[in-house]
Amino acid sequence: MAPLAAQPVPPGVRAVSAGRTSGAEPLASAIISESAAASGGPLGIYLHIPFCEAICNYCNFNRGLFRTDTKRRYLIALAREIESARAGGPVDSVFFGGGTPSVLDPGDVRALIARCGSSFTLDPGAEVTLEANPETASRERLEGYRSAGVTRLSLGVQSFRDAELRRLGRAHTAARAIEAFESARSAGFDDISIDLMTWLPEQTVEHWAETLDVLIGLDPEHASLYLLELYPNAPLREDMARGGWAQAPDDVAAEMYLAALDRLETAGYAHYEISNVAKPGRRCRHNLKYWSDGAWVGFGCGAHSTRDGRRWRNVSETESYMARVADGVSPVAHEQVLSVDERATDTLFLGLRLTEGVDVPAVERRYGVNVWERWGGELTRCVEAGLLEDDSERLRLTRKGRLLASEVMQVFV
Amino acid sequence: MDQRYIRNFSIIAHIDHGKSTLADRFLEITGALRPREMEAQVLDSMDLERERGITIKAHSVRLSYTPEGGAPHILNLIDTPGHVDFSYEVTRALTACEGAVLLVDASQGVEAQTVANAYLAVDQNLEILPVVNKIDLPGAQPGEAIRQIEEIVGLDAADALLASAKEGAGARAVLDAVVARVPPPAGERDGPLKALIFDSWYDSYRGVVVLIRVVDGVIRPKMKVRLMARGRHYEVEQVGVFSPKPVVVSQLEAGEVGFVIAGIKTVSDAQIGDTLTEAARPAREPCAGFTEMKPMVFAGLYPVEGHQYGDLREALQKLRLNDASFFFEPETSTALGFGFRCGFLGLLHLEIIQERLEREFGMDLVTTAPGVLYRVTTTAGETFEVDSPAKLPDPGVIAALEEPVVTAMILTPSDYVGGILQLCQEKRGVQKGLEYLASNRVMITYELPFNEVVLDFYDKLKTLSRGYASLDYHVTGFWTSPLVKLDLQVNGDPVDALSVIVHKETAYTRGRGLAVKLRKLIPRQMFEVAIQATVGGRIIARESVKALRKNVLAKCYGGDITRKRKLLEKQKEGKRRMKRVGRVEIPQEAFLAVLTVDSE
Repeated sequence: MAPLAAQPVPPGVRAVSAGRTSGAEPLASAIISESAAASGGPLGIYLHIPFCEAICNYCNFNRGLFRTDTKRRYLIALAREIESARAGGPVDSVFFGGGTPSVLDPGDVRALIARCGSSFTLDPGAEVTLEANPETASRERLEGYRSAGVTRLSLGVQSFRDAELRRLGRAHTAARAIEAFESARSAGFDDISIDLMTWLPEQTVEHWAETLDVLIGLDPEHASLYLLELYPNAPLREDMARGGWAQAPDDVAAEMYLAALDRLETAGYAHYEISNVAKPGRRCRHNLKYWSDGAWVGFGCGAHSTRDGRRWRNVSETESYMARVADGVSPVAHEQVLSVDERATDTLFLGLRLTEGVDVPAVERRYGVNVWERWGGELTRCVEAGLLEDDSERLRLTRKGRLLASEVMQVFV
Repeated sequence: MDQRYIRNFSIIAHIDHGKSTLADRFLEITGALRPREMEAQVLDSMDLERERGITIKAHSVRLSYTPEGGAPHILNLIDTPGHVDFSYEVTRALTACEGAVLLVDASQGVEAQTVANAYLAVDQNLEILPVVNKIDLPGAQPGEAIRQIEEIVGLDAADALLASAKEGAGARAVLDAVVARVPPPAGERDGPLKALIFDSWYDSYRGVVVLIRVVDGVIRPKMKVRLMARGRHYEVEQVGVFSPKPVVVSQLEAGEVGFVIAGIKTVSDAQIGDTLTEAARPAREPCAGFTEMKPMVFAGLYPVEGHQYGDLREALQKLRLNDASFFFEPETSTALGFGFRCGFLGLLHLEIIQERLEREFGMDLVTTAPGVLYRVTTTAGETFEVDSPAKLPDPGVIAALEEPVVTAMILTPSDYVGGILQLCQEKRGVQKGLEYLASNRVMITYELPFNEVVLDFYDKLKTLSRGYASLDYHVTGFWTSPLVKLDLQVNGDPVDALSVIVHKETAYTRGRGLAVKLRKLIPRQMFEVAIQATVGGRIIARESVKALRKNVLAKCYGGDITRKRKLLEKQKEGKRRMKRVGRVEIPQEAFLAVLTVDSE
């Protein structure tokens, strides 16, 4: 194992050796080195908080039950990992994700932000998001986060119907979620996102419309809409079988998704990414990095990073993460140098998630690929099927195509 | 070797009645193998044979046995394949014997292959020794089994032996009976060499190994020999016996069984049933009954990945080296690309080849629905055979179409007679006989179109008789039938690999069933898919697969791009394994859908 050294490495020329190679490699590498600094833009920092007060029956994220002493040791490890990553570079977004980051005390959050500030050049106007669950979001705590430097709150509401929340095993009620939102407002948060899930067990189109109406009434700046994905061994599957609950047919789920977009657009939100809508100027800066060939560094167990054509991830398990950091050993479990081809195709398929689409000439310049020459046949098929549109500059999914994004994105993998 | 002390015999039985287990006991008793060397069922040497519990290739083994108070004897146990696909090989193996042990399971009683094999043995004038096996089983009724042998097979079973091959009980008594009751061979040692080939296989070190029964004369190394069917000459390099390991001997004489290696390059040069004779002093006539084995069942084999085409051809060539009854030629399908039309003795043979290609050669295959050989007479008076629906000429030029017919013998408990007769009628059969036998058994004889038997007859028979009815059949001729070609189209493009030749009257139900089946098998795609079944260009059924509405990954787990990419790759891999017709992606299972369509 490599010692916990200064990583990520400084930007600059990196050998591009892994993955598929082609005769055009030296040329392509040259193109990369020339534009590498420009391609990443300012860094995003992701901090993983793997604790929850309760484990949701549908959740497949890297998380465990909250325990005070574990939290204390974890925060020490996290701080140490950030400290050792003295790579500098401007940072314009910090994202506390989980798990449930709102199990952290405001003081913990303040300390972590400060730690990021000493290892990186933290832009004073940086977006600092924290994911919070309504049941942990008291007014006092939210004020604390605000004064600790959190600028944006992402509330994991999921639904404004109690029956749906109960089926998901969530600890909060719709009333509690509304209260949390109002507390956040009075705590001074002017950039709030609400997470909703659709295609829930027993959810009808009408139920979904009710939830959307409550959201629109609250008027958050941003909302994320996710279709429930039932991973193979999700306890929710068992609960569904026992309760005789069913998800609506696929086609109805598609209707729900499209109906939500209509309602939200009427209410002044712009659909800017497959799962996200925002008021003007309120797109999530951090998440945009994932879709637009940006650079981000993740800290904490299971955190993912992408920077300068490298991609790595930390060990998932909390205890082994802490042990490694305590021993001064790098917590990186897997690292990959991306080939030019992987970088190009990642940029293409991820960029399609954005409503504005991908800037094809920019990708071609940056990675030395010819998109239409190489994928023209399959792309034309998608255009003919009405899933994709192309105005010679940008390639973007149509409204219908957004629901079939994976069908289109497969072209590039 | 004095022929008086030689006994050549086979064990014949219905599948699963314990033939291989009894053979293993013989090997133990005679000390041919020490118990340490025994692998269960030694004679079934292919992995596939052991797994399926059936003998695919016949083997033979020389056993030394001395009955109590008697002289040492050489017993040649000639194993026979245990499936109807290989009945020609069974007859050749039996020709090499003077006697046969007829093995009957004490709880199952006499079954169709018991009867069929016993008749073959009777035809060869073999001394038949009835043995009732598995007498240790709780449901064993040895008395009943003996009664059935007498009343159904028509053999005197008064001195039938009782055995439990698994426990080893009675096996020695069977060997004693072989010595006492099977006649010794009676060939002329000094006559011209005449040896029957009853098996051959390709060995990559030694070339073709030929198993022979010397009828007359002597064969020894350096002798110039001739294969009478092909007329080719060879020089004998080695002769030997299997005991069961190969042992080289100086010569094989009249009455003996053993192997010959003579620089023969392919098994098709040393076909089963052919006669080996001395070039300088040939036998007056060859052993009777030689016919070239002809494939009866045909299917297309295609590589899933187009680039494996060359590998598939090489693998087929290698298998062909060892299997003269198997045939292949290149075939092109618009749906499946480049592949091979292959001919087999029967369905089991097809399955074996397919499995061997997959296991031993690592091929990933799409197999089209098996069909039979049709005989076409054109309006111009020309007659030829067609082994694929694609080769069927335009209906306008067909004067007559004939299909192969089998004579099927079904042995069943009487409770299921009604259902079986109905099934045979549905399958366009013609009843030839219905005989109520002893012990509540009925023997039903039908002529059935071979095509229907290939389709799903056996599965249905087993289902409706709860596994009790047994079946044996042989292709016995052709008859004229009003047959039509049923075609399938997706979004207007014909899927040639799905075409089947069917009886005119069943075309509509088959077409509809197939369209429904395809609707279920073809996944939803980016556009609606129309499925149509047509006969002579006329649409007889139509179904549609609605366009896919939703396939999207929601969250990005904290920037985990790798996971997203992997999910996309997995989906794409799934599609890559499908075959594309026009713009429609069709999963491989669809090409076998024809087989499982319920025609009701």
